[in-house]
Amino acid sequence: MDFNWGEFLQFTITGLSVGMVYALIALGFALIWKASSVANLALGQIVLISSWFTYSMLAQAGLPAYIGLPIVAIFALFLGWVIERFALRPLIAQPILSLIAVTLGIGYFLEGLITFIWPLSTAALPDLFPKEVIHIGSAVISQEYVWVIGICLLVFLALTMFFRYHRMGIAMRATADDQMAVQACGIPVTRVFSTSWMFACVVAAIGGVLISSIGSISHGLVETGLKAFSVVILGGLDSFIGAIVAGPIIGLAETYGGGYLTEHLWAGVRDVIPFVIIIIVMVIKPYGLFGEERIERI
Amino acid sequence: MAILRTRTHWGLLIAILVILFTTPLYLGNYWLGVFNFIGITLIAATGLNILTGYCGQLSIGHAGFIAVGAYTSAILTTRFEMPFLVGLLCAGLMAGIIGIIFGLPSIRVKGFYLAITTIAAQFIIMWVINQWGWTGGQLGMTVPFASIGGYVFRSGPSQFYLIIGITVLCVFFAKNLVRTKVGRAFIAIRDNDLAAEVMGVNLTYYKLLAFFIGCFFAGIAGSLFAHWNITLTPEQFSFTDSILYVGIIIIGGLGTSVGPIFGVLFIRLLKEILTINVVPFLEDKLTMFPSGFASGVTPMMFGLVIVLFLILEPRGLAHRWNLFKASYRLWPFSY
Repeated sequence: MDFNWGEFLQFTITGLSVGMVYALIALGFALIWKASSVANLALGQIVLISSWFTYSMLAQAGLPAYIGLPIVAIFALFLGWVIERFALRPLIAQPILSLIAVTLGIGYFLEGLITFIWPLSTAALPDLFPKEVIHIGSAVISQEYVWVIGICLLVFLALTMFFRYHRMGIAMRATADDQMAVQACGIPVTRVFSTSWMFACVVAAIGGVLISSIGSISHGLVETGLKAFSVVILGGLDSFIGAIVAGPIIGLAETYGGGYLTEHLWAGVRDVIPFVIIIIVMVIKPYGLFGEERIERI
Repeated sequence: MAILRTRTHWGLLIAILVILFTTPLYLGNYWLGVFNFIGITLIAATGLNILTGYCGQLSIGHAGFIAVGAYTSAILTTRFEMPFLVGLLCAGLMAGIIGIIFGLPSIRVKGFYLAITTIAAQFIIMWVINQWGWTGGQLGMTVPFASIGGYVFRSGPSQFYLIIGITVLCVFFAKNLVRTKVGRAFIAIRDNDLAAEVMGVNLTYYKLLAFFIGCFFAGIAGSLFAHWNITLTPEQFSFTDSILYVGIIIIGGLGTSVGPIFGVLFIRLLKEILTINVVPFLEDKLTMFPSGFASGVTPMMFGLVIVLFLILEPRGLAHRWNLFKASYRLWPFSY
């Protein structure tokens, strides 16, 4: 049996780009986790609501992309600020169960809000990227995938630079390291928290716009946000490099699995592969590839 | 019976049971249906309360485990023509076993990691149910009414007695469980698992036992749901329902035996008020929104209620209830 290289290449590019978006969303998670050790389980809903907002701006209001997308970014900043200020700030230093539950509650609320404002079941964003396909050998690759990979790499680069050189980025890393010491140095920890939420929402929004421009906007995006957790788990919760490495792994596993396993298993196998990976990682190496293993003392 | 210490306790219990078991006399079929659903939800919430409230193992996949129970019972009674009671018991056992399997990571991880594992469990279970031929996939399946020894629970009141009877048993079991050695071990694990292990609590055994009991309750609830609702589709066990169960036990009060009762009553009655009064009102008044928008009101309110309870009353309604009891007991000299 000869192997279909064109198909394989197609799967690879699709997997890489989807994986990059997962990694981006996972970065949004890691940002908050690193700064405030809050696990943001509302990520899927944040992705969904920013995609819908983009739809409103670009398709319903008909704004051009260079005006619409900055408005989306401002909306995401605002969303992050509101969530942090009104739901998370009163719960600082509460047990982890409350912190997880409050983000679940936020997710629930956002889901209702989405149904309230956009009761459509599905919609498509206007084309953001050129549509012409690229031919590599026998493979036919849609150009948008390449664009998505490029934009993701740019965002990674920007975030890395931000954390390395910007004052706020350094303050965030310091807060993640030792909150008490940071407070003693006069860094406003609450502002660090709120900035990390705002950034995380923007990153998640970018991820949402990218993934819904490849596919479409539907409730499945919540699941996409949840799939990003498999990236977080595989890469290690507190590791940026982990997210960037694990994202493509998950994306590739998903597309290869969807491409080669569907005929042997049931349909939709593609969508559960990230969740199966979560279970496997949990049993074998719970702290992920790059995560810091915590040793507990009484 | 140390749960009931005084005559007042006995009197109250008997009064509540009498009111409960004569409810079909005062309520119409619609509200009887609502109370049937409350009973079913209460069984599931009690299970989750044992797992999360007492043992501290957060599970966000409870709807998935309920689905396991519902489909096990449905498949056994339709495809193998087993009696309902066998289906009920097998549903509990099956959900418990699946719960243990997905609870295995809890031996090594906790907190957020476990939450993610249970989310994954929810999606894997629902995928299997969606795709497996025996479950009818997305079309769902039709299930016969519950029947014991030839008697079919078809009418509202008979279903009410069946469900409320099992609910009372489950709540009683849960209330007693936490007073036993097992319950104390659960609480020790929740408060500090390392300390509990050092003191000789077998963590692996008790954590998995908590998963088994919690999911067993979920399975029972699922089986009752299947034979009460008689149609099963995968959408009835969504991820948002799993979140709602966590919300219910938080609103009621984590780790208290009355908590789930308050939580379930609060959430289900809130839902009834919203669907009967608020949603039609909004649909009438706010015509500028696209049609169908009002179905978002219920999840919005649920999410808001969960967040507000966490911020304003993290110990839930059960705490308020205790305050009320204390002030009643000490009245008129509360200082």
